[in-house]
Amino acid sequence: MENAFAIAETTGDGCTVVSVVGELDVATAPDLREHLERAIDRDGLVVADLLGVTFIDSTALGVLIGALKRSQSAGGGLRIAMAEPRILKIFEITGLTELFSIFPTLGEASAQ
Amino acid sequence: MSDVVELTIPVRANLVVLARLAAATVASRADFDIEEIEDLRLAVDELCVSLVQGDGDGRLDLRFSHDDDQIEVTCSFRTDSIESGGASESEGASDGSLDGLSARILDALVDEHGEDIEEGQRRAWLRKRRARNSG
Repeated sequence: MENAFAIAETTGDGCTVVSVVGELDVATAPDLREHLERAIDRDGLVVADLLGVTFIDSTALGVLIGALKRSQSAGGGLRIAMAEPRILKIFEITGLTELFSIFPTLGEASAQ
Repeated sequence: MSDVVELTIPVRANLVVLARLAAATVASRADFDIEEIEDLRLAVDELCVSLVQGDGDGRLDLRFSHDDDQIEVTCSFRTDSIESGGASESEGASDGSLDGLSARILDALVDEHGEDIEEGQRRAWLRKRRARNSG
């Protein structure tokens, strides 16, 4: 059966981490958008922890792009923690590895 | 011999996962490898979201057919309203354009894909060939 979707935020030391587990698609992308926008508006570095993501489609990628633009306007920055080869492949296919700062661990993504 | 699987789902964002499950099952039975199955799962998802972007009236009709080394998938958006001038007028429908991200994904993951209008219904389709020969 599909992986259960879960999303959570943790904040500390000027950094907010939005952690996602499960599948990011047209159904769950709105949740991601809501959490990322809230984190970005809080100011400071935002890290999208996608280490537990098992599926991602263009809807979710669009949300991430929108969040990146919003973070750039806010001045805080958005980074991605991601290590799953299958998910990284989709970022490579779409050229988004050139757009985002992607780190293989949450520790590296959160370092300031 | 060609097998055909047909699936109709309401236009609900949280039901697109059913299309992915069907894609994975058909590809597995057609002896595609794990990478190809995952490619087809995402590609079929992209077909669906190219036609609809949220909850609305209408249905998605999916048709999976495979022969020895190729799977063809068509996804048609059918509105519930008889009086509607077209499927694109239905709530939940996308604006009809395959956006850049979706197109790039499909270009990379399948051998052929396209969109057209068939009998007044918007339709997206793809074909993916199995990379290796059968034993």
